[in-house]
Amino acid sequence: MDAPAIETRDLTRRFGELVAVQDVNLSVASGQFFGFLGPNGAGKSTTIKMLTGLLSASSGRIQILGLDLAQNPVDVKRQIGVVPEGMALFGRLTGAEYLNFVGRMYGLDRETAGKRTAELLDFMQLADQPKTLVTDYSHGMQKKLAMAGAVIHGPRVLFLDEPFEGVDAIASGTLKAMLQRMIARGATIFLTSHVLEIVERLCSHLAIIHRGRLVAQGSLEELRAGVEAQAAAALASTSPGESAVSAPGEKLTLEEIFLRIVGGTRHTEQELSWLG
Amino acid sequence: MAGLSSPPLMRGQLAAIARVRFQLFVNGLRTIRGRLEVVARGMMFLMFGVAGLGGSFGLGAAAWYFVSHGNVEWIAVLLWPVFLFWQLFPVMASAFSENVDSSNLLRFPLSFPSYFIIRLVYGSLDPSTIIGCLWLAGLTIGIGIAQPGLFLWAALVVLVFAVFNVLLARMIFAWIERWLAQRRTREILGAVFFIFIICFQFTGPLMSRYGERRHPDASRVTAQALPYERALPPGLAAAAIARAVKGAFAPALGAFALESVYALAILWLLNVRLRAQYTGENLSEAAARKISVKEESARRLSWNISGVSAPVAAMLEKEVHYLSRSGPMLFTFVMPVVILLIFRLGPAGTPGRQSNFLSHTPDLAFPVGAAYALLILTNLVYNCFGADAVGMQFYYVCPVRFRGILLGKNLTHALLLACEVVMVWVAVCFMFHPPSVDVTVATVTGVAFALLLNLTAGNLLSIYTPKKIDYGAFGKQRASTTTVFASLGIQFAVFGLAAVTLLIARAFGRIWLAAVIFLVLAGLSQSLTPWC
Repeated sequence: MDAPAIETRDLTRRFGELVAVQDVNLSVASGQFFGFLGPNGAGKSTTIKMLTGLLSASSGRIQILGLDLAQNPVDVKRQIGVVPEGMALFGRLTGAEYLNFVGRMYGLDRETAGKRTAELLDFMQLADQPKTLVTDYSHGMQKKLAMAGAVIHGPRVLFLDEPFEGVDAIASGTLKAMLQRMIARGATIFLTSHVLEIVERLCSHLAIIHRGRLVAQGSLEELRAGVEAQAAAALASTSPGESAVSAPGEKLTLEEIFLRIVGGTRHTEQELSWLG
Repeated sequence: MAGLSSPPLMRGQLAAIARVRFQLFVNGLRTIRGRLEVVARGMMFLMFGVAGLGGSFGLGAAAWYFVSHGNVEWIAVLLWPVFLFWQLFPVMASAFSENVDSSNLLRFPLSFPSYFIIRLVYGSLDPSTIIGCLWLAGLTIGIGIAQPGLFLWAALVVLVFAVFNVLLARMIFAWIERWLAQRRTREILGAVFFIFIICFQFTGPLMSRYGERRHPDASRVTAQALPYERALPPGLAAAAIARAVKGAFAPALGAFALESVYALAILWLLNVRLRAQYTGENLSEAAARKISVKEESARRLSWNISGVSAPVAAMLEKEVHYLSRSGPMLFTFVMPVVILLIFRLGPAGTPGRQSNFLSHTPDLAFPVGAAYALLILTNLVYNCFGADAVGMQFYYVCPVRFRGILLGKNLTHALLLACEVVMVWVAVCFMFHPPSVDVTVATVTGVAFALLLNLTAGNLLSIYTPKKIDYGAFGKQRASTTTVFASLGIQFAVFGLAAVTLLIARAFGRIWLAAVIFLVLAGLSQSLTPWC
């Protein structure tokens, strides 16, 4: 059996007194499109930073494709692609120069880097502005370029932190097509996003982190079954007036599952004093 | 809307901005870097304080002298430098002035008067305004001591002159900000600025070269220029004071009125500019961008440098792209030759006239030029990740050791310095005479030692006190104040060691000895280098 693409054991990160991530045990199989969810401040970005070598763990272990990240950082980084939160682009290069640079930094020879750059620019519909500097790109164009940079070396694992944030429907479609191609060729994608509809549509497996701890992990169906079983158990022990978790024949959406797991409620009835 | 006063209180908004600036300052003290920055800024403040108070005393003494010796009109000679300093210094040292980002302020429900006052008040809290005010205060006190009865009138005239200067400086910056809002205009402005700076450098040498020659037309030209000088604010302010001393109150009032008209005209122009900002002008880059056709350049291959690994070559290529797109940087790189030219154009050392030291000792031209080339690289070497900004994160996720990244950066800087040194050598050959082999070898080894030491210290400071800079933007290439002071200290040490080495070599009468010592020092520096 293949080693998991991503595996963590008791992964913990402290910032002084604050425990941002505590004893996280993740396991992502190869070829999975994995969604990593959590409310704001839950520890998603801290986890993804640790998984990509941007931040060291306080304790615990990270294995990517069977390699220990702490012991083989360069070997691991060679096999992963990352779109970090701030995109980490170089504003005063053109798109082609940026991709060539990234390709070379990942060890591609110049011919391959050049060929892939041209293909990626074409695919991402960025080829019609070859002389425009990245700093002058729109936000959506920058996201597409960051994604192109993350895949130019053909990574086996791709980490994406909020890849669809601030991206319009057209750019979003291009990015999704790209990600599906990656999955089709056997890559593993680890994605964080607040857009739950997209996660529900794309991801086969999910994990939910809340207050630094992993509170759920599995396929969407497994998470749904878990929430429904919990709700049924709660229903059996409460008064007959309580309603069921969902109407008969209706499936819980990811948003509903997420809200039930993290214990969040929508403050629809609470009033703000000055809004009346 | 309940609880929202209409219009919002200007005083509350001004207080909120003052409070947020104070909070930013206090929060900045939470980090060691922030504390170091405050210490460095404190030292800077002291330096400006000394300049301000010293100048104030000097101007006061000069004003007292002119008034008490019946040469009141000569006050114009004092007001013109104040005016030029007030307007040119912020532009030349724009890194010192923090411009308010109007786009941030415009999100809030500010009335136009609030916006105008905030821009005026917070924009004016810069060294030039403080020093200018101190100088003018000293000048006024000097006049008051010489002729107490004139004090109030002089104070009023000088106050209007100060207001004119504050408004003019803000108006210039409001326009500069307009041009800086777009990358292309920003880069053009940067180029114009540096051409101006370079031209300005030639004023002194040309004046000293040609100034003392009796030119038949000089007196006539001066006489023709004087009426124009008197029609401008510094001349008018001086005239208003001088005529009052002579009892000509009507002309004095006229000069004062004209000076006030200038201030009002500038106020109106500033108002026009700020109102355009306030009403939301469209300065987006997208509007200026043209969709260009797909070009073959997208398929251009990256550099292949034999003997250098692909990541280091990629770093080198990236750095060269960055530098070649920076107008300010390109102009900075020609400065060593400009400096040599300034020395060359200075007084040639004819008998009875003061001359510059390179005229006496042309052998020093190459070392001086090379040392200057090293100095101009300081900003780049000591903040080498500054221009990468958010891109720096990429270095942590890519499969390249940080040593390789630093090596790429250092290689770029070393190549740059090598080109500079060659350029200086060629310039010295043309402007003075070819440096001797001894001097050339000693200089090159000295530069190698200094470079290695600077790269070592620069790498560490680049990592520990980085500051985001913009190569393309005018006045945004300054490293953090901590870095500036640390690098200054290192340069003192480097130049001190170099001076001692040269003195030893001179004492033995063997310049080549300096080369040997420099090579030993370079070896020692290299052993400290973390990227080797």
